[in-house]
Amino acid sequence: MGSSLKEETTADADTSSRDTPPSDSNIFSEGERVLAYHGPYIYEAKVQKLSFGRKNGTDRLMKNTEENVRKQQALDRKQGVEKGSRPGRSSQTKPKSSTDAKLDKEDLKNTVPKGKKRKSDSGVEKDNSSMEKPIKIQIPSTLRKQLVDDWEFVTQQDQLVKLPRSPNVDDILTKYLEYRCKKDGTMSDSIGEILKGIRCYFDKALPVMLLYEKERQQYHEVIVDDVSPSTIYGAEHLLRLFVKFPELLAYVKIEEETLTHLQQKIIDFLKFLQKNQSTFFLSAYDRSRVSDGKGKDN
Amino acid sequence: MEGGRAKEEEHDGVSVHSPCKAPPSSASSLPKEQHEVELELRLLEALEIYPPVKLRGVHRHFVLYGLMEFLQKSLDRHFSPDEVLQLLDRFYNLEVLKPDDEEIDTLNHEEDFCLPQSYFVKEEP
Repeated sequence: MGSSLKEETTADADTSSRDTPPSDSNIFSEGERVLAYHGPYIYEAKVQKLSFGRKNGTDRLMKNTEENVRKQQALDRKQGVEKGSRPGRSSQTKPKSSTDAKLDKEDLKNTVPKGKKRKSDSGVEKDNSSMEKPIKIQIPSTLRKQLVDDWEFVTQQDQLVKLPRSPNVDDILTKYLEYRCKKDGTMSDSIGEILKGIRCYFDKALPVMLLYEKERQQYHEVIVDDVSPSTIYGAEHLLRLFVKFPELLAYVKIEEETLTHLQQKIIDFLKFLQKNQSTFFLSAYDRSRVSDGKGKDN
Repeated sequence: MEGGRAKEEEHDGVSVHSPCKAPPSSASSLPKEQHEVELELRLLEALEIYPPVKLRGVHRHFVLYGLMEFLQKSLDRHFSPDEVLQLLDRFYNLEVLKPDDEEIDTLNHEEDFCLPQSYFVKEEP
């Protein structure tokens, strides 16, 4: 719904009217200062790059006219915007999804309180959700290489991880807990809770964001009858979770100090994976058997 | 005579109202009440950061971890996950809380896994 932004060339034709653009115009050009909705807030931004969007873009950008600036100020007052007033992480935000216009963040005048743009096709912006600044998870270099090999096997060589895996995700998490208990001399319920959290994320996230397209058929063949992915998949897919982990965690507000602790514990877990890389990870995958005949035969 | 006996007691030099005697025992429950109030206040403070509704969703273990850390820090003692949940049970019926709408949207948007470009770049030693 709504028209996408016009390309630069088309917009140029209208530059003659740029000085006093009508406030309801939906023609924008690169470098133009506009007002943009971000969640429930409006802020000033500069259009950096234009591209065709799949959905509406125009109702998110407004011409920087007096009328719209007044709208902005009224909204600000209504929302009670204060700079840096939010507890928890920094209130700087990055628009998470791609939008029709890439906005130059340096030009953001107001503090942009958390807001989230949806990637969905509905084109409707939900303005009651909030996103946090993502934490950084530094994946050890041999595991990074593992991820590249994994990509190569599946996407370039048409191969698949043979399922079910042993050890599976559950096994690996349990082994880690045992390892930590032995090291600390005591069972840490913090670590226990974090591991439960990882399993929970894995089970939910696997079909939604951890599979390459070529693995989907296998997924549907193997995950039947409410079987949980953490009992079928192993280290290969668990590792992919940690690529997505910061993004997932950004949907929940957590105190800065606690985040740091969490980060440390996750890094420790990754080091454990690295230490056990040769036993946890497959060095070769299976030739895929795609039933429509497109794959290689076994 | 009774009056004389009473006077006799006084002559002991020690009476129940003497400052060296301990006060009535009911006063010792006061610190315990204050302790309770402090606990409740801290919990309510914690819940401003970690709303109970988040304890129903996919992030619940991390939220619980956050609550554990917050309470441990502010009350200077260890809290287990179960203890935190029991505390919450006093105030909230967690079963009837529906998970966040936002969350349902997040994890329903299916996308293929994509390894970021940075993984393919040779790392500097």
